[in-house]
Amino acid sequence: MVAVGFGLVFATTRFFHFAHGAVYTAGAYLALVFVKWLGLPLLPGAAAAVVLCAALGLAMELVLYRPLRRRGATPLVLLLASLGAYIVLQNTISLVFGDQTQTLRSGVVRVGLPVLGARITPVQIWIIAVAVALTVLVWLLVKKTRLGISMRAVANDPELALISGVPADTVILASFVLGSALAGAAGILVAMDVDMTPTMGMNALIMGVVAVIVGGTGSVPGIALGALLLAAAQHFGVWQISSKWQDAIAFVILLVFLLFRPQGFFGRKVRKAEV
Amino acid sequence: MAYLLHILILIGIYVILAESLNLIAGYTGLLSIAHAAFYGVGAYAAALLALRFAAPVWLTIPAALVAAGALGLIVAWPGLRVRDDYFVIATFAFQIIVFSVMNNWVALTGGPLGLPGIPRPELLGWVVNEHWEFLVVVGVAAALTVFVSWRLVRSPFGRVLRAIREDEVFAAAVGKNVAWFKTTVFMVGGAMAAVGGCLYAYYITFIDPTSFTVMESIFIISIVIVGGAGSLRGAALGAVVLVVLPEALRFVGLPNAVAANLRQIFYGLLLILFMMFRPQGLIGEFGFRRK
Repeated sequence: MVAVGFGLVFATTRFFHFAHGAVYTAGAYLALVFVKWLGLPLLPGAAAAVVLCAALGLAMELVLYRPLRRRGATPLVLLLASLGAYIVLQNTISLVFGDQTQTLRSGVVRVGLPVLGARITPVQIWIIAVAVALTVLVWLLVKKTRLGISMRAVANDPELALISGVPADTVILASFVLGSALAGAAGILVAMDVDMTPTMGMNALIMGVVAVIVGGTGSVPGIALGALLLAAAQHFGVWQISSKWQDAIAFVILLVFLLFRPQGFFGRKVRKAEV
Repeated sequence: MAYLLHILILIGIYVILAESLNLIAGYTGLLSIAHAAFYGVGAYAAALLALRFAAPVWLTIPAALVAAGALGLIVAWPGLRVRDDYFVIATFAFQIIVFSVMNNWVALTGGPLGLPGIPRPELLGWVVNEHWEFLVVVGVAAALTVFVSWRLVRSPFGRVLRAIREDEVFAAAVGKNVAWFKTTVFMVGGAMAAVGGCLYAYYITFIDPTSFTVMESIFIISIVIVGGAGSLRGAALGAVVLVVLPEALRFVGLPNAVAANLRQIFYGLLLILFMMFRPQGLIGEFGFRRK
């Protein structure tokens, strides 16, 4: 799901939005504030956190990326700026909350239900259900609605989209808001299962990037499949080798795809040495 | 006094790192997030040889150069096939992989515990031990790096690098072997960074993977960008500014954890502000701006 949110932003704006990982972390921590500190029930608390995440995405686009684009920044400049934003956000979070692990879980850990020989806790079932629902929703949005069509138009050629009357800036803004909301939601879901640390965003982001590239940019089913494949490969790897090599495995996969199939499974756009 | 010397030594090491990245990113336009990987490989190569085989300096440093140069050969490879942001992600991947190896291959690298007790280097019977002695060595090394970089960028080789940065297709069209130039600059830049790594290992006498993370790479990039990409003086200036400025935070008397976070926030903000208002850095000539 992080991957889908990231892919949404990436597909529309064509640059790597590093701060996406920070938004994901922020989602988890905001939920913590609302649920644990302010004592809201879980659902409204999570919803409020997601809304704030969307606002965070909105703010970043308005304050940071839009002015940069106006100045004719290349994807590299945007990438560096977003790295800066990521560092600022992540460290602000660890400044406020401390570096230790925080938990969103309440009560005792229940013994999971046996499914296919593995144990799955009810929380994990929830996570899967919500993630699938949101992914399908985003896919429908991109494929069927006016906004989705405009997003793809902007992704393909911002200038042409502008000429044909698509408000490119608004569309990009919308994709930032949506993508950030998704990231926030993902952060909360994951935090409910495995707790949170300020640096969790980097990991999630890394996985998101890999999934997007493996799955194919601009293709929601592709990205979801990429994420699945990645998770499968990693866990298979864990079973065979050792859990500490997870990151390395992910990145070897990424490199292989970058080198041999940069368009991913379903992506069409090849960016290899374009003029 | 020792503190002051320590800061100067750090500046020297970062000048080496920044100049070497400057060759790759500033002059050739290949933004690489893998620089801490070269730095780390250099440090580990020197430390391992010195610890396991009691190898002398004249053996460990060349070995570190070769190791980092070989890594450069590998890292440059995707650079020949993907470009711009995709290339950045590819170097990012290398950075994570190298870090994973340092952190996880416990038998070789000691894993997260690192490698303690690296012996003091000995040059022709002179044991480099005191701070000021290190400063001399680091200073000479930094000066050498700047000199080599200067010779490189003023040479026809350097002109081709800049041509690749400005317009790769055009450079290829006038008969320059772009792949060869990119690979070479990665090997040279990587080897230079390895020198920084060796010096760091010998100076601190202890290395662990946390010194060579993505954040370290980003820090080196910040130096180059703040100082000015594509400018030798720029990168050196950036190293001075970025090492010295956060030291000021030390004297405000904040608790250590807070200061570390604030320092990072400071770098992040600096990166954003420079991208926004002065992408060519303080005195640079290239702002990653033109396509």
